[in-house]
Amino acid sequence: MVLAIQAKNLKIGYMDEEEQITWATRGVDLSVEEGESFCIVGESGCGKSTLASAIAGVLPPHALTMGKLYIFNQLVINESERNYNGIRGKVVSLIPQNPGTSLNPFLTIGDHFYYILRDVKGLSKSDSIKIAQEYLSKVGLGKDVLEKYPHKLSGGMQQRVLIAIALASEVKIIVADEPTSSIDANLRAQILNLLSKLVKEFKVTLLLVTHDLASASKICDRIAVMYAGKVIETGLTSSIISKPRHPYTRMLLDSVPLLGSKKSLNPLPGEPPSLVEDFTWCSFRDRCPFRIEQCSVEPPLIPVEDEPHLVRCWRFREVS
Amino acid sequence: MLEIQRGVIELNNEVIKLQDVTAGYKTVTGFKSILKRYQVVLKDINLTVSKGERVAIIGESGSGKSTLLKVIMGLLKPIKGEVYVYGKQIYKLPWRERVKIIRKIGYVPQDPYSALNPLLTVKHAISEPLEALGLKDEIIEQRVREAVKFVGLPQEVLNSTPDELSGGMRQRVLIVRALVAEPEILILDEPTSALDVSIQAQIINLLNDIYSKLKTTMITVTHDLAVAQYLADRAFILRNGSISEEGPIDQILSNPRSEYTRKLVLSYYVTSFKNNKSVGTE
Repeated sequence: MVLAIQAKNLKIGYMDEEEQITWATRGVDLSVEEGESFCIVGESGCGKSTLASAIAGVLPPHALTMGKLYIFNQLVINESERNYNGIRGKVVSLIPQNPGTSLNPFLTIGDHFYYILRDVKGLSKSDSIKIAQEYLSKVGLGKDVLEKYPHKLSGGMQQRVLIAIALASEVKIIVADEPTSSIDANLRAQILNLLSKLVKEFKVTLLLVTHDLASASKICDRIAVMYAGKVIETGLTSSIISKPRHPYTRMLLDSVPLLGSKKSLNPLPGEPPSLVEDFTWCSFRDRCPFRIEQCSVEPPLIPVEDEPHLVRCWRFREVS
Repeated sequence: MLEIQRGVIELNNEVIKLQDVTAGYKTVTGFKSILKRYQVVLKDINLTVSKGERVAIIGESGSGKSTLLKVIMGLLKPIKGEVYVYGKQIYKLPWRERVKIIRKIGYVPQDPYSALNPLLTVKHAISEPLEALGLKDEIIEQRVREAVKFVGLPQEVLNSTPDELSGGMRQRVLIVRALVAEPEILILDEPTSALDVSIQAQIINLLNDIYSKLKTTMITVTHDLAVAQYLADRAFILRNGSISEEGPIDQILSNPRSEYTRKLVLSYYVTSFKNNKSVGTE
């Protein structure tokens, strides 16, 4: 078993003008095997995009880091030191959240491929165009796209171009940050289908970041649910969706509107805690219907019976 | 029967009626036929909304949903066809008269993260529609406080700026701003698409609560079939600028007549929990 990604007590924070640090991740422990499709699910502000940026090597320079992060056994974050040489763009590639603003409006799609393949693989323009044609056809686009500027493409086509660029670099890990947020069901199904097919074909490791549990359940082998900067539940997708053990995961599933069902929606009460102050109690305590006195101490990730399923809740047996 | 007379149509309880509306955006000027000078986005739209009705306009990106809203709100004059709001042909009215009619419409824009001015406090943002009506300061203050309470926001939020609020709170502020002038029609442009799943449920419940209390006519534009099902009783499916299907939403979703609607519903199931297959096997 080769670990593609391994995070050990990874903390990432941002300091504001008043020198207060907001810890976006507060100690993440995570391991993703090579060739796996792994999903990080959570609400806005839970730290999932910061974690994805750290793995893809695109954290802003002012971000503060603690703990360790390994990409294929290479230590890329060692406490405050960060070194992504030979990793960023070569081993890991990022499919960003908004395809419309991620492509340079002054460059044709062909130029996007050229500049990236020149930097990553040292290819000439003619060679990069040949490779671009090959990968565009894999994502269902014709070679005519190479001459076009991003604004001439639909949102779905722009997203396909970004996937093709990520694959053309022949990376081993693709980090997809909310690739299907705010798009309609038809396009969402197409993009998820495509990602699922390509991950199998190219045997890459996929790290999907989303708030949409339904999308995650379709293409991922395992899911990690994040809340207030920590992984609070992780396990096989089938186990997380059918038998959630953390109250937050269960409430998140209950709040999803389903087609053909007029069940009443149960939104989560309250707001997530502020991540400016450090706290030692369970981060979900104030919103949790299962809270007890013991919740004033934050639980560790507890193994659930014989399954490869971990949960950060003292009362997980009662939740299920 | 409808009786058309001097631009006024007698309706039983229709509040909005679009008759053969074609609309779009100007592209080039010159000696070309009128249609060639426009990029046509909506084609021959016929649509009616009755008082107190909850209607959804469903379509993919680029299908013309937002353009249709602009036409209804008096912001985009159609190339041809008639638009009636409360029986008046709004585009044939002088601007001041048109504004009086349009004030009956409240609008909740799509993105709560960009729709609020970052420099204004919540109180200022909510007061603006009332200031435009020329109300006295004391009355504005009272109505703002009542409206904020009505959607379940704490009064302290009034002194906050948008960056201090979560996505769900911002969306509630936008709903308050639309409701504070007591509109008779509420238009919601993708009210939940920019929000997390957990906040989506809060906003859907809030909008249903508002409807049950106020019985305001509600028009929701969305690409999410499940959200439409919760917020509307009747739906129009928009495809490439034309209405491809209309009817009761439960019927459309359970027994779609057009191939396009069938495809939309299938796509939804492929990416939802209800389908046990992974998308890769479809």
